[in-house]
Amino acid sequence: MTDSPSGGLSRRRFLTSSGAIGTLALAGCVQNTSRGDGSGSDGSGSDGSSDGLSGQVIIKGSSTVFPISDAMAEEFMAEHGNVNVTVDSTGSGGGFENWFCPGDSDINGASRPISDAEIEQCSGNDVEPVEFEIAGDALTVAVNNDADWVDCITFDELRQIWSDEAGVTNWSDVRDEWPDMEIERYGPASTSGTFDYFNENVVGEDTEHTTEYQPTEEDETIVKGIRDNEGGMGYFGFAYYNSNSEAVKAVEVKAEEDGECTAPSLANAKDGSYPLARPLFIYAAKSALQREEMYEFIEFYLEQAETNIVQDIGYVPSSAEQRDENLEKLDEVAG
Amino acid sequence: MATREPETGWHGENSDVNHLRGRAFEATCLAATAFGLVSVMLLLLFVANDAFRPFSADAGWLATYAATVVVPLAALAVYYYRLDEPAGEVAYVTSGLPVVGLLLTGGFAVLFIELLSVLEWFALLISLVVAGGLIVAHGRLRPKAALERLAVVLLAPIITVFGLPPTRFNWFVTDAAAALGLDFGLYYRVISLREAILMLPFVPTDWVMLLLTLVLPIAGAAGWFVEQRRESRRDGLTVVGLTTAVAVLGVVAGPLLGIGTDVWLLIVTFAVLPLGVYVEGVLRRGEGVRGLAFPVVAVLGVVVGGVVTGALGFAGPDPWLDWGFLTSATSRTAADAGIYPAMVGSVMMIIVIVLTTFPVGVGAAIYLEEYAPSQGLMGKFVTLIEINIGNLAGVPSVVYGLLGLALFIRVLQWPQGSIIVAGLAVGLLILPIVIISAQEAIRSVPDSFRQASYGMGATRWQTIRQVVLPEALPGILTGTILALGRAIGETAPLLMIGAAASVRLAPNSFFDVASMMPRQIFSWSSELDPSFRHGVLAAGVITLLAVLLVMNATAIVIRNRYQRTG
Repeated sequence: MTDSPSGGLSRRRFLTSSGAIGTLALAGCVQNTSRGDGSGSDGSGSDGSSDGLSGQVIIKGSSTVFPISDAMAEEFMAEHGNVNVTVDSTGSGGGFENWFCPGDSDINGASRPISDAEIEQCSGNDVEPVEFEIAGDALTVAVNNDADWVDCITFDELRQIWSDEAGVTNWSDVRDEWPDMEIERYGPASTSGTFDYFNENVVGEDTEHTTEYQPTEEDETIVKGIRDNEGGMGYFGFAYYNSNSEAVKAVEVKAEEDGECTAPSLANAKDGSYPLARPLFIYAAKSALQREEMYEFIEFYLEQAETNIVQDIGYVPSSAEQRDENLEKLDEVAG
Repeated sequence: MATREPETGWHGENSDVNHLRGRAFEATCLAATAFGLVSVMLLLLFVANDAFRPFSADAGWLATYAATVVVPLAALAVYYYRLDEPAGEVAYVTSGLPVVGLLLTGGFAVLFIELLSVLEWFALLISLVVAGGLIVAHGRLRPKAALERLAVVLLAPIITVFGLPPTRFNWFVTDAAAALGLDFGLYYRVISLREAILMLPFVPTDWVMLLLTLVLPIAGAAGWFVEQRRESRRDGLTVVGLTTAVAVLGVVAGPLLGIGTDVWLLIVTFAVLPLGVYVEGVLRRGEGVRGLAFPVVAVLGVVVGGVVTGALGFAGPDPWLDWGFLTSATSRTAADAGIYPAMVGSVMMIIVIVLTTFPVGVGAAIYLEEYAPSQGLMGKFVTLIEINIGNLAGVPSVVYGLLGLALFIRVLQWPQGSIIVAGLAVGLLILPIVIISAQEAIRSVPDSFRQASYGMGATRWQTIRQVVLPEALPGILTGTILALGRAIGETAPLLMIGAAASVRLAPNSFFDVASMMPRQIFSWSSELDPSFRHGVLAAGVITLLAVLLVMNATAIVIRNRYQRTG
């Protein structure tokens, strides 16, 4: 403030000139904001190819189908970067009851067909499920690697172990030559389609599935349990065995006492010789199929279900006829 | 203490006192402490080993970096610790500031990529500034009209930011009218300043807007700080000028370095500017100057190590936690999997939590501590409420998840698994903790302060606003940040509200479906491929821990400042 009066003068001059220069500079630094209909106003988060397709597809349901749906989501989003396909594993029944039928999800993966009660619940909310069979699975019964006494097991023995009636606690209760060791059972929770399938086809309608086991929604937990207990036993989808084949030992299965022992494998599931082979489904909400991104995704899913993507995960891909049938059905429903 | 000889005799001097029990107790306590520390440490080392896989590198690579980075830094650290403690602090700060600065840079970069464009930020900030200006101007012009000012404080931001009436309000009215079968709607409204700016045909380029709304204000704050500290206006202006000059340099330098002008501006603002001000201060004071060697040695070591290993052809480690992990989405192949969308989801969830929980929690704490009756029947009722807030803090997090599911998704019909629902559910979870810690902070303000304030003729409101809150604020902030640390790691409520296992797009709005870091980590734990469970999972855990540590470090810094001044 002790500057000479010329300081004030020069300051004003400075302000004027810098203002003028600033204005000129700014004039060269403007951009045009007319950018269509403001579709780009929500940031620029699109890194995939933006072909105009956008929106959201919500998949819930079976943990067995989860790896397939997740792979499909990833492949689809590589092509359509703006469609957000989210996948979650809630168990087939849990997905139907809590998410799909209340109308909160678009697709539900299921490792068993939808039940009548679920159809009823869905229709109560104006949700119409459309069934697509997308792959096949060989439900695998596994024991600990050290369990050298068991290589093949019959349906009847499985029923004894997994039903609540026979009162089996030790291996020796099933077959006399088996060791006197407790059976540690690990299996999917009752919200799981794998549980439903096993309950219906192995345990049967006359008895109930045992509750004396460790139920879980995560197949990984079953594998860990069997691996760490010599008397461990459990069942899960083939894909989990496929990627953990060193951790546990798969048991061959025969349906009848005088039948032939068959190992769980994709080939055996495909030709129908494996008795625990089962189809896997996805259910799409009919109303959701009217949405473009949903239609595109399902179409993609059904086409790719016939390819090696499914095989690599550890399931039986759908056949070419199956695929064509599915696509026809899709056209019919969505058209 | 225990071994010190008593100077005068005491009654037990000649009798045998058995110290064994005391010693044994001490040893047990020590063992308990050591057990906890060592087991946590081992766990962290185990996870870090999985995440970084240092032993996948050649021995030569490890040896080179040990020689160029680890040994010199360790030697320096020992030197600081033994001989030059102020230099140690300088070394600590100069190494930490760039890290925090780069984290902030990353945060803002993500903000501009995912949430709002630079133009939207610019418009929002200008509108807020205008609103603030209106409020200040009203305060100047009509200092007595308190009630009127309240209206201005509430209305000015609404008018400048949302317009009159806000768009959503118009939609709401029109929809409601349509639902009643009336052909009535609010089709016209006064647009806000923000919208007006967004509609301008020509606006400055992104970097100019960033310069005006981000670089200049922060540079101004730094300049003001320097000006206060040195009582020299020129120094303050120098800081502002230098920062602006370096920032504008980025127009040329940014693209040359391949980072873009915007990122350059952010780095200058958040990393270079604070570091520069601090280093300049250290040099001027001449205290602990040797500490500046630490970051220099670190950077030099990395560069030399890089040159040597490159020349000798040593292969580095192949960590799971790398740049690709931080910037890509999850994938079914472990090597491609990343945590980016989940990280953005977590950060946005934290924003929701802060915006909702902090005002509610602190408000409740102020009421309970300052206003609520403490005697009579109502006093008993208040005590009951306080006890129950304590109980709520112990309710399992799954229950809050169920509450979120029932309330926000089933009743309010908000999208399941969306950020807003996750934020509110987890926010409810930490609300009791925030209330309790804020209460503690307010209670720790000595009563004499309040009495003195009343003695000066201040009203209760003035006392709370001018005396109690400023004094309690650091404590409140510390407690809140620690609670947020808990919030960011919660998994169970996220599972309950249907946050999906795999989400590959980062959310763009608070109503988008998103994944959060703990949810993503949980879903990796059940992947088919074992390398997810051992590698990718560990990398995710380390990332989450790093975010947590940064938050806790912030809390500690705030507390330390508080203790120094208070």
